[in-house]
Amino acid sequence: MPTFRILSFVIALLAAASAWGAGAVSEHPLKIVASNYPLAYFAERLAGSWATVTLPAPADADPAYWRPDVKAVGAMQKADLILLNGADYEKWLAHVALPRLKRVDTSAGFRDRFIRIENAVVHSHGPAGQHSHEGTAYTTWLDFDQAAQQAEAVAKALIVRRPELETAVLDALKALQTDLAGLDGELKRIATAKPGVPLMASHPVYQYLARRYGLNLKSVHWEPGEMPPEKEWTELGKTLTVHPAKTMLWEARPSPAIADKLSAKGVTSVVFDPCANRPESGDFLAVMKRNIENLKMALQR
Amino acid sequence: MRHDFYLAWRHLRHHRTRTLILVLCLGLIAALPLGLHQVLEAGEYWMTRRAEATPLLVGARGSSVDLTLGALYFSETGVPTIRMQEADRITATGWADALPVYARHRVQDQPLIGVTLDYFDFRGLAPAQGELPAILGDCVLGADAADRLGLGPGGTLASSSENAFDLAGSYPLKLHVTGVLAKAHSPDDHAVFVDIQTAWVIEGLGHGHGETQAAPTRPDSPFGSPTVRRADAGLLTYTEITPENLEFFHFHGDPATYPISAVIALPHDTRAATLLQGRYLDDHSETEIVRPLDVTRGLLQNIFRVGALFDGILLLVGTIALLLVALVFSLSLRLRQREIETIYLLGCARLTVLRLLFAEILLIALIAAAVCAAVLATAAPYASDLARHFILS
Repeated sequence: MPTFRILSFVIALLAAASAWGAGAVSEHPLKIVASNYPLAYFAERLAGSWATVTLPAPADADPAYWRPDVKAVGAMQKADLILLNGADYEKWLAHVALPRLKRVDTSAGFRDRFIRIENAVVHSHGPAGQHSHEGTAYTTWLDFDQAAQQAEAVAKALIVRRPELETAVLDALKALQTDLAGLDGELKRIATAKPGVPLMASHPVYQYLARRYGLNLKSVHWEPGEMPPEKEWTELGKTLTVHPAKTMLWEARPSPAIADKLSAKGVTSVVFDPCANRPESGDFLAVMKRNIENLKMALQR
Repeated sequence: MRHDFYLAWRHLRHHRTRTLILVLCLGLIAALPLGLHQVLEAGEYWMTRRAEATPLLVGARGSSVDLTLGALYFSETGVPTIRMQEADRITATGWADALPVYARHRVQDQPLIGVTLDYFDFRGLAPAQGELPAILGDCVLGADAADRLGLGPGGTLASSSENAFDLAGSYPLKLHVTGVLAKAHSPDDHAVFVDIQTAWVIEGLGHGHGETQAAPTRPDSPFGSPTVRRADAGLLTYTEITPENLEFFHFHGDPATYPISAVIALPHDTRAATLLQGRYLDDHSETEIVRPLDVTRGLLQNIFRVGALFDGILLLVGTIALLLVALVFSLSLRLRQREIETIYLLGCARLTVLRLLFAEILLIALIAAAVCAAVLATAAPYASDLARHFILS
């Protein structure tokens, strides 16, 4: 009898240990690194508490011009999933060693619809130094249909790594795509109501937004905190004669001096934040709703 | 019986030189075939284990043996290259994961292997010291390569120049050692690993430019102060990649067209493996898919056929050697005729003489067996090196 009891105890102990082990393995959260905030937001929405999502670019940097140092590369190498925007967004990718099988190019599905930028102006602002926007337009997520495809790519990658989460991830994807479709529908409605209204953009980052929603947009290379030189104002004046825009889209609120000077020229400053980095308040959806509301008010004027 | 062995031992000791020659002859004759089999078995284990762990291999159509030996065992013969897009094509099927391998270059006589970091996970390779490569120009050494080169994390080594007479060729690249891999008892131990993009920089497909500098102003110039920028600094080709000049490195052309030696395909299941193999049935295709295990088995069969031939030769040599030993014994018995007569005269039976001879033969056989075991034990650690040298070189 005591032998039987001991045997039962050992079997129960082994069963408990194996159950705990299996639980521990599946409960290990996925380590996800995203190259910009929209992808981090998608991953957070889709994976929920099953993943820890990291955005390695500093909070005050534009992830498109951020370069990872050796420490950041080491951290990315240890991740389970590296979400990339693609469309030449991660210019540092050719300089670092990252596992190919962990990388997910979320825009690969619509590569044939990338916008090429030719003869872009080399300019500088802030401490990041000189850069140009030549190459491929990269703010792919501002076309919310493309954003939905990127979210789907993230979902597929999550399911491959955690097949047991398929139902949860697909449910979350459906909800996320519904939200994105809502934004898409709203922007389409606004743009259709006032077709062809001339608009200016402070920076050439709205190419996909303009294409998807038929916005008549021309860009300069201005920064919200840097007063453009007089030459730039002259150029703007010339542009406005052929493209009489009453609204300029900004990535962030411009300094009052710039806004006032623009206002004197009859141009209102409107913030349409691409939200490439994590916002100080709210989330991607909230920022985009605010952007749409700003654009709507501007177009109604 | 104890006395027989005592007398036999004393006799053998008295005739030391003869005993030593006999023992060495017998010991080495026994050790030779056994050692050969040890090398063959080590080779079989070493090659089969590697091939078993590599489900499918895609490379340039041609010799599947060269492809397997080049991509799996980093042989010096080299493999014709294919394009990187082959790895993308395999990934796009959704049937397998693709691991590109570029094994064209050598650095200080060690194979320089360009891989993506997934290769280390796939082979179960982890750094025993330092870290895996992080940026262009970094490398990690296999355990034996680190020993041979005398390098560790923080060290540097220069890649070999492709062609000293190629004036347009790329400069050797100074590689930074970031880590040393733990011993894996595989060809990986002898390799220097770099990220595949670094291998392309060594190939000359990627290079860096210095920042252009403003040309010095010449107030006395009849053309006024120049506004052009000097281009010579822009044409500077770096031989060392550092975090400071990293951003000036770039590649020309489409990376999908860049060369690789082979793609290790890791199918998700048996069905996926079959479907993938079906993609390469076209004889006119530039690429082929092979199962390294099949190739290795075919290769080993040939090697074992040669081994069997060696066995036959060694058997003949052994027989001749044993006949010679028997001759030596019979001649020594004639020489010992007076000694044997003395034993009879002392009152010993003829059986005693036979016992004494048997004890001598047994002692010689035992000592020869010990010599054989010692030779085999000494050679055992080098068996896989010898196998690798004879099979792959």
